[in-house]
Amino acid sequence: MTEDLQKQIAELNDVHKELTHIVEYDAETLLSGAVGFEASADDGLETITDSFDIELTIPHIFPDRLPRAKEVGGRIGTDYEHLNPDGTLCLGVPIEQRCVFFEQPTLLGFVNKLLIPYLYGYCFWSKHGHHPFGEAAHGYEGILRHYIDTLGLQDSLAALAVICFLFEHGYRGHHPCPCGSGQIVRVCHGPALRTLHDHHTRETVRADFLAISSICCAEFKKGQLSFPRPLHNQLIRLLKKFKA
Amino acid sequence: MIIELGKYPEFLDRVASEIDIPPIKHQNAVARYQAVGHWLEAGGYPGAWGQPSIYPQGSFRLGTVVRPIRRGIEADYDIDLVCEMPLIKHRTTPHEVKHMVGRRLMQHQTYRRLLDDEGRRCWTLEYAEQDGVGFHLDVLPAVPDGSGLQGTALSITHKEGASYSWSASDPKGYANWFDGKNAAAFARVVVEQKQIIQRQASLVFESVDDVPDQLVRTPLQRSIQLMKRHRDIHCNRPEMIDYAPISIIITTLAAHLYGGELDTHAALLGIVGRFQGHAALVEGRAIDPTLETMGLIRRLPDGKWYIGNPVNPDENFADRWHEDDQARARAFFSWVAALQKDLLNVQTSTNPRLLKESLSGTLGTAAVTKHFDVLVPSTGAVEPRPRIHINSPAKPWRCR
Repeated sequence: MTEDLQKQIAELNDVHKELTHIVEYDAETLLSGAVGFEASADDGLETITDSFDIELTIPHIFPDRLPRAKEVGGRIGTDYEHLNPDGTLCLGVPIEQRCVFFEQPTLLGFVNKLLIPYLYGYCFWSKHGHHPFGEAAHGYEGILRHYIDTLGLQDSLAALAVICFLFEHGYRGHHPCPCGSGQIVRVCHGPALRTLHDHHTRETVRADFLAISSICCAEFKKGQLSFPRPLHNQLIRLLKKFKA
Repeated sequence: MIIELGKYPEFLDRVASEIDIPPIKHQNAVARYQAVGHWLEAGGYPGAWGQPSIYPQGSFRLGTVVRPIRRGIEADYDIDLVCEMPLIKHRTTPHEVKHMVGRRLMQHQTYRRLLDDEGRRCWTLEYAEQDGVGFHLDVLPAVPDGSGLQGTALSITHKEGASYSWSASDPKGYANWFDGKNAAAFARVVVEQKQIIQRQASLVFESVDDVPDQLVRTPLQRSIQLMKRHRDIHCNRPEMIDYAPISIIITTLAAHLYGGELDTHAALLGIVGRFQGHAALVEGRAIDPTLETMGLIRRLPDGKWYIGNPVNPDENFADRWHEDDQARARAFFSWVAALQKDLLNVQTSTNPRLLKESLSGTLGTAAVTKHFDVLVPSTGAVEPRPRIHINSPAKPWRCR
């Protein structure tokens, strides 16, 4: 375990005193124990006090890859929709997780800003039957919607242009904005794209490209979507790059 | 909450003692069977040259009693008593011996009431006790049989439909053999354990000397108790229940394979490991030469299995293991694998709740719940929960 991770675990344990059991594996560290909280939320949502038995699997390349969290006390069952097939908690669309995480990019931040809000949401849902902060659609659709909603885009074609832009160039302030406004990036979606670019890794941008392009290609095949020529060419270029 | 795995040996000992018969219950049972013994001794039996001799056999005698679990609920203790009649085998019949004892029991007002229908080998008295934990006292009529290795051999009666026959048994010889295997460990623990038992049950035993040897438990005995409890729960499912390993096989093999380990956990690790060392026999493959030389579990050339009674090699405890495509052999080794997984691979456990569930599911909820705090001490004072205010959270998603 790196010294930095040791420090982060120590910082985490100052607050979450029971999340202390450590097992080290080759490529990751398993941290487990109880995570208790007394959580309130914006918009005057109720305060919820609870505790869950949690296992965090922290990859050694953290924070390039975020920890995976599992609830191991047998409370969150498969009747709850936001569990991944491997039983890990689905804290959010990956890029959204990363954006939230980077507000406080430490293990403590991960627990306080991602894990506890999720657990709060679960408790709230168990009690009231709906989610306090909304929920993302499953699978690729959730990723696509995230781009459309957070960037205020017109449609899936614009989302495709954005992810192609990020995948191919990263951030380029003087390029035309992929949203199609005709302005340059810097004066249009500049700050938002900058943030996305800063928080994406090669792995996550590839994954989002795959998600959005898959949906768009499926719509294209059904004749529900037509690509403008430059985007079409870019997509072909990137699909080749993706396969390589 | 942290699991203190260093305490696991202590935890296993405590669970074993929990599923054991408590000293007061033990004394109670002894008083019951002695009363039955006195009653049987005082009877008149035509042809007998003296009084019958009444003594316990099986797990009660061996110190490997486990409170049975039936349908997941802890049930009454089973205690086996031999009623050895001083009769000459060839001058009597199994039917006569069985019913001599039965008639005598029927003559007693209370026993008549407690007596269950006639069993294949025994008469059963069912005691319901005030504390709700009763006994089944099985009285096994027998006559001496001069043919055994140690002069302790018996013939017991066997009822099949309406016909009776003799079958061989040697509970005293077996118990002496078991005591021999257990002797060194017994000598090591006897003083300390009697002191502990006397302190814990000072109302039952005035002094250390009053504590009977039968209440002392060595790591070997504790291991057998834990294995039997695990067997009772693990094999309690329709496809396994008829093939569950029988206690005499578990006890015999464990006593042979006990390596003198100093605590129950170590003993169990050793015994289960050596059980597993025989698993290749199911596929007809070779096993470790040391184990093979011991010859405890053998495949015979005709494909049958052999686990000998140590005091009567003609008796094969595994005489039905080849039936139903070796169902009993397979059940034995799959149970051994489960033992390893459930009781011995706990070092990787990180989650107290899961560990508790898993141990409860394999050793019984009552015993595990009572002693789990040895492994996971409750912290006493409750830490205040961290206060978190949630703003701009992520929305929960699902990758598929």
